[in-house]
Amino acid sequence: MKNRLQKNEDIDVLRFEKGGLGQEVEELCGENLFGCYQCGTCSAGCPFIEDMDLAPDDVIRYVVLDRVEVLNSKTIWLCASCYTCAERCPRDINITKIMEALRQIILRKNIDQTSLVKIPENERKIIPQMAFVSLFRKNIG
Amino acid sequence: MKLLYYPGCTLKTSAKNLERSAFAVMDALGHEMVEMKDWNCCGVVASLTDDDLMRHLAPLRNLIHVEDAGENRVVTLCDMCCNTLKQTNLRVKEKPEDLEKLNAFMDEEKDYKGTVKVIHFLEFLRDEVGFDVLKKMVKNPLTGIRIMPYYGCMLLRPREVSIDDAEEPKILAELLITLGAEVIDNPFKIECCGSYHTVEQKELVSKRAHRITSFAVERGSDAIILSCPLCRFNLDVRGKESEKLFKGYKQIPVYYYTQLIAVALGLDLKCCGFDTHAVDPILLLKKKGCLKKE
Amino acid sequence: MRLQSYNYKYHDIGIPLQENYFLDEPEEIVQSRTIPVLETSVSIVAEMAERRKKRLIKADVLIIGAGISGMQAALDTADKGYRVVIIDKTSTIGGSMVKLDKTFPTNDCSICTAAPKMVELSRHPNIELITYAEINSLDGKPGDFKANIWKKSKYVDPDKCTGCNDCAEVCPVEVVNPFDEKISTRKAIYIEFPQAVPIVYTIDYEHCVGCGSCDRVCERGAISFLEKSEEIEVHVGSIIVATGFEVFEPFEMRKEYGYGKYGNVITAMQFERLLSSFGPTSGKVLRLSDGKKPKSIAWIQCVGSRSAQLGFPYCSRVCCMYATKEASIAKEANPDIDITIYYMDIRAYGKDFQQYYEHAKDLGVKYVRGRPSSVYENNDKSITIKYKNTLTGEVKESIVDMLVLSTAIIPSQGNKKLGEIVGVEVDENGFFKQQSLLTNPVRSTRDGVYLAGCIQGPKDIPDSVSMASGAAAEAVVPIKDRERRIGKEFPPELDVSNKEPRIGLFVCHCGKNIAGFLDVDRVTDEAKNMSNVVYAEHMMFACSGDSSKKIKGLIKEKNLNRIVVAACSPRTHGGLFQDTLREAGLNKYLFEMANIRNHCSWVHSDNWDAATKKAVDLVRAAVAKVRYLEPLSEEEFSIYPSTLVIGGGVSGMEASLALADMGIKSVLLEKESELGGRLKRLYSMFPSDIKTEEIINPLIKEVSRNRLISVMTESELFSIDGFIGNYKGKIRQKGKEKEVEFGTIIVATGFREIDLEGRYQHRRNKNILSQIELEEKIGNNSLKKKPGNVVFINCAGAMDEERPYCCRVGCGVSIKNAKLISQKFPGSKIYILYRDMRVFGKEEEEYYSDVLKNCHVTTIRYPGDKKPEIILDKNQPADGDVTVKVYDDILREEISIPADLVVLTVNTEGEVMTEKLKNMLKVPVDAAGFFMEAHAKIRPLDFSTSGVYLCGAAHYPKNLVDSIAQAKGAASRAAIPIMQERMKGEGIISETNEDLCSGCRTCESVCAFSAIEMKPNPKEPKHSVAVVNKALCKGCGVCAGACPSGAIQQKGFKSNQIDVMISALLEKTFSEKSKKSFRVDGKSDFPYNEKGVGA
Repeated sequence: MKNRLQKNEDIDVLRFEKGGLGQEVEELCGENLFGCYQCGTCSAGCPFIEDMDLAPDDVIRYVVLDRVEVLNSKTIWLCASCYTCAERCPRDINITKIMEALRQIILRKNIDQTSLVKIPENERKIIPQMAFVSLFRKNIG
Repeated sequence: MKLLYYPGCTLKTSAKNLERSAFAVMDALGHEMVEMKDWNCCGVVASLTDDDLMRHLAPLRNLIHVEDAGENRVVTLCDMCCNTLKQTNLRVKEKPEDLEKLNAFMDEEKDYKGTVKVIHFLEFLRDEVGFDVLKKMVKNPLTGIRIMPYYGCMLLRPREVSIDDAEEPKILAELLITLGAEVIDNPFKIECCGSYHTVEQKELVSKRAHRITSFAVERGSDAIILSCPLCRFNLDVRGKESEKLFKGYKQIPVYYYTQLIAVALGLDLKCCGFDTHAVDPILLLKKKGCLKKE
Repeated sequence: MRLQSYNYKYHDIGIPLQENYFLDEPEEIVQSRTIPVLETSVSIVAEMAERRKKRLIKADVLIIGAGISGMQAALDTADKGYRVVIIDKTSTIGGSMVKLDKTFPTNDCSICTAAPKMVELSRHPNIELITYAEINSLDGKPGDFKANIWKKSKYVDPDKCTGCNDCAEVCPVEVVNPFDEKISTRKAIYIEFPQAVPIVYTIDYEHCVGCGSCDRVCERGAISFLEKSEEIEVHVGSIIVATGFEVFEPFEMRKEYGYGKYGNVITAMQFERLLSSFGPTSGKVLRLSDGKKPKSIAWIQCVGSRSAQLGFPYCSRVCCMYATKEASIAKEANPDIDITIYYMDIRAYGKDFQQYYEHAKDLGVKYVRGRPSSVYENNDKSITIKYKNTLTGEVKESIVDMLVLSTAIIPSQGNKKLGEIVGVEVDENGFFKQQSLLTNPVRSTRDGVYLAGCIQGPKDIPDSVSMASGAAAEAVVPIKDRERRIGKEFPPELDVSNKEPRIGLFVCHCGKNIAGFLDVDRVTDEAKNMSNVVYAEHMMFACSGDSSKKIKGLIKEKNLNRIVVAACSPRTHGGLFQDTLREAGLNKYLFEMANIRNHCSWVHSDNWDAATKKAVDLVRAAVAKVRYLEPLSEEEFSIYPSTLVIGGGVSGMEASLALADMGIKSVLLEKESELGGRLKRLYSMFPSDIKTEEIINPLIKEVSRNRLISVMTESELFSIDGFIGNYKGKIRQKGKEKEVEFGTIIVATGFREIDLEGRYQHRRNKNILSQIELEEKIGNNSLKKKPGNVVFINCAGAMDEERPYCCRVGCGVSIKNAKLISQKFPGSKIYILYRDMRVFGKEEEEYYSDVLKNCHVTTIRYPGDKKPEIILDKNQPADGDVTVKVYDDILREEISIPADLVVLTVNTEGEVMTEKLKNMLKVPVDAAGFFMEAHAKIRPLDFSTSGVYLCGAAHYPKNLVDSIAQAKGAASRAAIPIMQERMKGEGIISETNEDLCSGCRTCESVCAFSAIEMKPNPKEPKHSVAVVNKALCKGCGVCAGACPSGAIQQKGFKSNQIDVMISALLEKTFSEKSKKSFRVDGKSDFPYNEKGVGA
């Protein structure tokens, strides 16, 4: 598990004091991560689980255990905010908001995840506008 | 009945056919949809952080303009716009102190009083027109076509803004029965299509589209019916692209529900814009003999 | 009820009917119309039609609900001599327990354990059973309640119905059967299940179409459409509510599991009905979609439970165990079926539960820790489950043929209304509220109304039964001075000892159960040829009310003095027939049963001729024996009206107080110098955080003040003599010896933490404490320095090879103490290392979730085979740094935590006194030092040895709520013999022939009831002989079988009596010789002597 996360220099410099990451997430989204008892429902229902390096319930675990490297994971950017996990969670934890909080922690340090330049011309013509808007919303601070 | 209409960006560009077919249907029903003045981007995606009020500005401004137009209702065709507007509407109702801040910030706009109800076009058809009324107007029942309803996420989740039951929605199935088609139920109808990942990780979306559609095909589906322009793109365009990734896979046509209503009501199919689809939707209709009899 | 098609012109009592006599509501018609006055039968009609005066019943206790809890409470109360009225809203008693196939952890057949209680209840002289009735209103106060019961009409006359099922066969209406949890249908006229009590068919008024077919086929004319529903007024002193629970059906919530949508998704209760031998598939596990055997089955746990959204927040307490049970039963019967249980925690917290769970794993049941997100149906109707295995990290899909959902236990639909009627508050989940969860879980919020069973919250059968006994103890308090009536009056016995045997034989059809598989007519005819049989008859149901009347009449008429009934097992109705004999003036031991049902028709259902022949053989054997039967008497003993309670902890004190409230004296023994037990060392209780001193101090005060309790501290029982009702104990108090007499004993000696013997470095470092040590330090404020990291290690010394059991309370204690630490030192980081989180009780799951969130507790799950390691500083082991290394099972990596404070949740065992006590009281103890009860499920408070009872942690560690309920229950049980004032022993006891006894002590060693003692032979004092204690002997016969010299004989099963049975069975082989008749001089032409040795 520890070796699956890729390194990212920008993110590695982020420092949190003990318990800081969890506290910041809680402040951003209002969800208490300690309520999670690792039942696995969220991961089982996630549409993108196959491509994620950390499952959503592992992400929560990492935050609780103060492992800042969770910010390196692909998972939080793969999340499409489809709310499936939040609807089914037996603890009524809104994992969608937790993912957003983790993204915001990175984005608010001006570490953007998308650049318009990279999108090819022909694609730009056919892709619906709403996709661009949501993408920029999600990946740019 | 006159209804104020909020289009959103995509309905004016990539999903023009959805708008046109919706207008045609409204016309046939004898109602009027009027596009609201001075609308802006809805602000998709709905803000998920508690401290972020900035992201509520755009949707709120739209709601203010609805109130300004003297209306207390606005209908949308785009699922994501509907979801975003509804979520902001809910947020300001639950936290009046946030509404105060937002109103104060937008000092050039009037204050939002919280009187607007945002509805999706499907809700309008189900609750105010009634599927039984629609049924009487069907001239060209879609007999023999087996269609899988696909909802995606935005119409149904979170539950507080859902237009139907979040786990077992029925609205599209009921609509299909009204139009005379056969419904193929499918547990993937509420799974996410991939949404904005279609921009940067289109293989992911292709895989998703393949998963969703192949399941439907296994159950005997001829086509998919849906309501969201992004879902249409993902299942239709990216779905067709996934034919390269998965040998032997053939993407089935994807329809907007307004297009199918237009077909069933025997309207002029120019409004449907079938040529903008990746997989030709007309072929199937022709094969099943559902096109208007001259 | 439309009866226009009713063709009869005459009602069955011979009155001509008017044209449109029957309209919609028979009761209304009869009430509103005037009935024409006719010459004949006027009085009968007038009586029936008269506006009925309300029936008034004066009793002592009203019990609402006749499931296992209601039945236990009723029996306990009635045995004490008080009159009980018990009602149930269905047409039979038994409740939910009879729907189960087997019960965990013993895998006993559920109906086999419940049915004897049901039969006992129906025959009890102090209990009035009213089924198909509901309570309408309740007024009054404790000691003086007035309840209005609405008894619905079954439209069937209970005195005439024989339960033959002819009516149901012709009924045209099929209705979804709620007893089978809606997976089968029943008719509009029905009984709930074959063993229903009372066995009276019921017409479901809502669905009956009024065709009258049932009436036409009923030979006895039992259908009675004029039978009215009636209102009954009941005057009692206290009320017990025991209305049980329902099973959650995920129609509106948790739809992602496809219940109601996919055919092969069922609830666990429906699965029980499939497993049940009288269920819709006769016990075969079959898929509902196509009736085929499934190749794979999966269970999903916690559907609707432990859910903060779309469900209920509490834990349903029994689902982990019943899923394990269902899975292991299905697996054992069908080893080829692939079985998986998807869980979050396996709450195997009770006695023998953990071992049962391990055994299920050994059988091949797979357990996957991961709650599935959703399921869907495939084309062949199999179910695909999408889940994450949280212990391996894989997200997979699995396909099963059948999916069973372990859904939540929820309050019955009518609970709220019942709460309003009875005046008891209902909590936010719908269960009835107790007066105080931690100090009196049995009393409801209304005085005089008590709670038993699942009405207060989900619980399993032993906990329900204990609580029901507790409710019985409490219910007696407002009425304790009322008149009591013990037993039934019987006419004097006739002396038949010198008369020749005149045998009456009654062969029972048992409906179709026997008559459908063998020729009862032939059996009766063959019997008529047997010597001494002067009367033989066959009847539909020998156990029914009118059959009993008939048998009684025939005994008198034909001067019968021996009775043989060829029917079911004596365990079922033996007592009933014996009572019939007594009512006719015969000694009840002049009776024998031939089991031609369980031993014949049930197992030879495919061979009519062979079954008939075997039945004849069995009857011949019974007849042979009954000739030799002698009248036996039961010895009566008086009971010393006082109880010895051993152990002055919470359980002991509550038991004493309960006894005192019932007016019974007790002696409370405590070996320490103060009362209070384990609770004195603890600081607070979960789940309500009440300080223990607030619980224990008032209790000690109350006990010390109570005049009926004599407290003896610093006292130990060191020897005991006697038997139930007549014990003499020697107690050593502060060096002095005292002798005390008492009638019954309650063992409440509690438990203690085990000695970890250095494991987890316990006692090697000052910062490594046990939970009790931690609470003591918090209590006396000696924890000064704020610990940075606090690590709780659960299951220390539990669930390993040496002690394979779970300590039941550890998880709750660790969470409570985590909260205490977090409150005392707000900045500390708290870790709890656990194996399963077993917080199962009322409000415990909610407490757990609150503590996790508010105190930011990090939980780390570790596997059983990789226990946490404690590493001390090499240079300063006693007070240096401590590091805890634990393998996180969910992240699958080892985590190292530098700990400032380590708290071990140490396993428990029985108190040190247990060994000594067990030998003195002659009661069994298991490997962990906990006492072994008589029956794990339905007799958790009794021992096999009569007169000794058990409660509290001496039985098994338990939390405060369960301990108090159990203590009150034990008090109720211990009070029964005392309130009965005298008791009868068994008639079929063993007896020693001193001349033949060699004193080898074989019998003493095999007696399970400690009923045999060696005493000096009065004729030869130097030799010891075995003497059977008439009070303790239960007549099991093991001693007689073990005795090498035949010195012990069991009355009613003497060697000569058994010998003639054997030769009767073998008669075709040894043909002519045994056909000679029995002679009055007791000798026979039989070639074998009394001992079966060739003459």
